[in-house]
Amino acid sequence: MENSDTPPPRKPSRTLPGKIFDVLSGFGLATITLLLLGLLTWFATLEQIDHGLYPTLNKYFHWKSVFLLPEINGKTVPLPLPSGYWVGAVLLVNLILGGVIRIRKGWSHVGNLISHFGIIFMLIAGGVAHHFSERGNMAVGEGESSNTAEDYFEYVVELTEIKQATPVPITVIRGDQIKDLEPGKTRIFRLPEFPFDLEIGGYLVNAQPVSIHERAPDKQQQKADGYYLMEKPGEVNAEANTAACYARILYRDGKKSDPFIVAGASFHPFSLRLEDRVFTVDMRKRLWPMPFTVKLDKFTADFHPGTSSPAKFVSEVTRIENNVEAKVTIQMNEPMRYEGLTFFQASYGPPGAGPGEKMYSVFEIVHNPADHWPEYSLYIVSFGMLITFLQKLIPHISPTSRKKRHV
Amino acid sequence: MKNSFAVLITCAVVLSSCEEKKELTITESRNATTRDKPSKLFATSDERFRDAKPSPVQGDTPAGWLALPASQFRLLNYRFGESGMGEVWVSLSAGTVFDNINRWLGQFNATKLDPPGLDTLPAATIAGFTGKWVTAQGEYSSGMGDPPRLGFALAGIVASVDGQILTLKMVGPKAEVEAAKPILETFAKSLRMAE
Repeated sequence: MENSDTPPPRKPSRTLPGKIFDVLSGFGLATITLLLLGLLTWFATLEQIDHGLYPTLNKYFHWKSVFLLPEINGKTVPLPLPSGYWVGAVLLVNLILGGVIRIRKGWSHVGNLISHFGIIFMLIAGGVAHHFSERGNMAVGEGESSNTAEDYFEYVVELTEIKQATPVPITVIRGDQIKDLEPGKTRIFRLPEFPFDLEIGGYLVNAQPVSIHERAPDKQQQKADGYYLMEKPGEVNAEANTAACYARILYRDGKKSDPFIVAGASFHPFSLRLEDRVFTVDMRKRLWPMPFTVKLDKFTADFHPGTSSPAKFVSEVTRIENNVEAKVTIQMNEPMRYEGLTFFQASYGPPGAGPGEKMYSVFEIVHNPADHWPEYSLYIVSFGMLITFLQKLIPHISPTSRKKRHV
Repeated sequence: MKNSFAVLITCAVVLSSCEEKKELTITESRNATTRDKPSKLFATSDERFRDAKPSPVQGDTPAGWLALPASQFRLLNYRFGESGMGEVWVSLSAGTVFDNINRWLGQFNATKLDPPGLDTLPAATIAGFTGKWVTAQGEYSSGMGDPPRLGFALAGIVASVDGQILTLKMVGPKAEVEAAKPILETFAKSLRMAE
């Protein structure tokens, strides 16, 4: 019996491009990539218990990760694996070459072709989400409003001039521009809008400024105004990391300031006066302005009886845009989708709030250009499979077919 | 020859893109948002990193503990232990001693107390007042959506002080909490309310 999914028999190619095409479009490669994806998912699920979700996802599925060694219970498994992103990319190429170009053509195979298109669309959706989606969170207290989300992980350096106690506008040095500046490395940031430039170095993903009078530096760390940066191991919950680095002001006359610390764990910015002008330099998680304001009218949290495990959180909010108000309820599994942004009910606070304490609600905000693409791809795959199924079923139950079987 | 030239050009482009940038010009900016509050200007390093606002509770930091900046809910805030996961903090909160103890026990899924059960807890001294000594162990859920942490323990004191609830709470890996209990008791005695 012939399998209708099988690519047409093909004479083994003798040319190098032909051989490469055969390998890239073959079932063997498809099987290997699917097995690898299963293996990677299994290892990543185990490893995230010890290392946290974010670092594990980066290790297993980020495009910058090419090969990796899995870990189980803190022990390295000596099995180099390609990262999920690149396995997915190979699968995408394999599906295009094998499942679209090389597949048998004709009406009897149209269902398979459609299904393959659906899977290709799903893989592309994953790539788009990986490269172009943004995630952040917004904490709003009852009766308060916010128009800003905060990135979960990205620490940025912000500079601004203080005018009448209001900082406008705020210049942002992005995390990608500083996070490679490990101790010993520096980079100069030219600031056309400011009468000075900035030199940044000694970036640490998770660090605490510590007074040299409180705990002496143990690794000959750089000191700045009686403080140094004590590196801490990365938190399992990576959002809790507090990045920090050292900086210097580079004046236009060629002079440099003493080094100072900018840290995610600081309470106030670094300030400097230049003639009659005042500037601040600070490090914080990147702020992400929203196109509308969200006011939290009421927050309700229900718990499973006798536990602190939440059964239900409900946020009743007013969405305000151009003075137009809309009442929306956001709860678990019922996000608010508006203007390409999705607001999920994520958490609440303060931690372990007691009876009668004022609470705040935390929303996870996602902007993903491919938000609904996986859903659409499932419709496409289902439609293709339905066609294939009907193409098999109809001849099977048709009278001519029955006659043939009774002959 | 043409192919070799193309390969050379490609290599040069790839290598140049990998070169570490020594200088960057920054033009990205954003407008002020509801999150941008007027900040304290010309704060000292102590103010920037330790929030030098005087705490209503003071104490003598035990050797080996790392003092962290205070926060809205942690008037005194420390880390302790080898793992770096041990935390100690002092708070003033609302409610009653009974409510707060049961909230703590709930975070460990421990059996909550009934009102007579409160009298069975050992007494402990904190800031010159007498409070209740609370312990628990097991799976710790802070109640903020953080993942539960196994093998954790709690030791702490809850006392009613001038109409407020003063709490001293130590949470961390069980062995580290057990080892640090005597230090915690000494620290509790060193606490004093500011004038």
